[in-house]
Amino acid sequence: MLWYKSWLETRWRFVIGLVLLMLSACGTVLSYPQVVKLLPLAPTVQVSGEIGRRVSEAMELARTYRGFVWSEWFRQNMLQTWGLFAVLLGTGGLLSQASGGGALFTLSLPATRSRLLGVRAATGLAELLVLAFVPSLLLPALSPIVGQTYGIGEALVHGACVFIAGSVFFSLAFLLSTVFSGVWPPLLIAICVAAVLRLFDVVLRDMSRYSVFGVMSGETYFRGGGLPWLGLVASAAASAAMLYGAVLNIARRDF
Amino acid sequence: MADTFIIETADLRKHYDGVEAVRGLSLQVPAGSIYGFLGRNGAGKTTTIKLLLGMARPTGGRARVFGLAADEDRASVDIRRRTGFVSDDKDLYDYMTVAEMIRFTAAFFPRWRADLEQRYLRAFALPLDRKIKALSRGMRTKLALLLALCRGAELLILDEPTAGLDPAMTEEVLQALVTHVAAEEMTVFFSSHQIAEVDQIADRVAIIDRGRAVLTGALDDLRESYRRIQLVFDGDAPEPAFRAPGVVRVRRKGRVLTVLSSAGAERILDEARALNPVSVDVVPVTLKEIFLETVTVED
Repeated sequence: MLWYKSWLETRWRFVIGLVLLMLSACGTVLSYPQVVKLLPLAPTVQVSGEIGRRVSEAMELARTYRGFVWSEWFRQNMLQTWGLFAVLLGTGGLLSQASGGGALFTLSLPATRSRLLGVRAATGLAELLVLAFVPSLLLPALSPIVGQTYGIGEALVHGACVFIAGSVFFSLAFLLSTVFSGVWPPLLIAICVAAVLRLFDVVLRDMSRYSVFGVMSGETYFRGGGLPWLGLVASAAASAAMLYGAVLNIARRDF
Repeated sequence: MADTFIIETADLRKHYDGVEAVRGLSLQVPAGSIYGFLGRNGAGKTTTIKLLLGMARPTGGRARVFGLAADEDRASVDIRRRTGFVSDDKDLYDYMTVAEMIRFTAAFFPRWRADLEQRYLRAFALPLDRKIKALSRGMRTKLALLLALCRGAELLILDEPTAGLDPAMTEEVLQALVTHVAAEEMTVFFSSHQIAEVDQIADRVAIIDRGRAVLTGALDDLRESYRRIQLVFDGDAPEPAFRAPGVVRVRRKGRVLTVLSSAGAERILDEARALNPVSVDVVPVTLKEIFLETVTVED
């Protein structure tokens, strides 16, 4: 029943995230014919600096459907929206329920704190898994509508990269939720951390494939360099360490 | 036969950020008793209960429930499996309906009493399909009580069970509690700052003040042994130093000297008569008076 409780507590965040990501996936696929029409205009776009370089790169990637999907969806829309919902799903829990949320009732149940926390973490991660794969699998399903194909295997690989690497944001918010009693501080801190990492990702382009966002986007895989194993393992280890830290934090805490 | 103690604490201590919430509390709650845990707001009642249920860790001393150490994780789970609990805030999960809340709670307790669940649902007139957040304070308390009573627990720990309820609702809740305890073999440990309700249902009592038990015992024994001796003198009352044991407090006001005794009123009376008062009255003392005399009045 702890699963049911966790589901009830997070279902709206999950459902909103799923709907947004699915709409975004649909929008990405359905916008491709318009992008193709604009491609001939690409050489006339004269913008200098970083923005110009990024526009050119986007145009270049959009010459293939695979490149367009990766650039628009896995590198941008999904990354940002999924990351936000990873943080949202990571917040909450016992500490934020200590005042008016039934935390004492939960703690009066015959369940260890690590079990309470473990179920909540597992529920959040399961929801994030769905958020990573279901919208991604919409891409191969919808692509025939615009006369294109997109590999299911590719969607699954990118979905897995988003889930494994992006879980660090969930785990960070989860850990912070065992430190701060309010809902807002963990949320804001985790979002700030994600924003700063994203900024580094943009500024230090040469290093971007090694950043968490680079690993999430599966850039090395897209460019034919194989899966970013090191980044995935490091992200998974960081997530596990933060979740363990959260368990230790709650175990020693007084309510 | 020696008493079996369901709850035992010895020199139990808890500090919170420099505040001593519990300071060397020693209690023994016999099996089958209704134990009133009386104290003013902030006396350390809720903290003690949290220590018993493993919600907070003691900084010193020990607490055992059913003979199990309350600060050990596994033992604490066992304690909670055998204990029904109602917190002072009666906070439940606002997003669940009454039916969901009951189903959720029942899943944790193999000895869940479905028969009692039906009985209390009817008695408390709880609407199964209503969300918890839409329940009144009284309904919330009744639901919290139902969730505690139906666990098939051997021990009920209730933290200010009637706080915030009107007198009619308080009476209803207390009656339900007394009826339940009479029918089931269980121990009740309940905290309160409402002396009347402790007086009404408890058979044993501990008065806690500033984290320390200042008085413990069977309520009948306390009523029996505590006496107020009032002496009236011709002129100003003297300042005697009573040698007899059992003198709790001596107050002088003009011609009147009042002695509160916890035991041995006869010996105190002998000493008092030697002071040649005009009149001597010995009257029984209520729990309220005992409470007010034993807790330290803070400015």
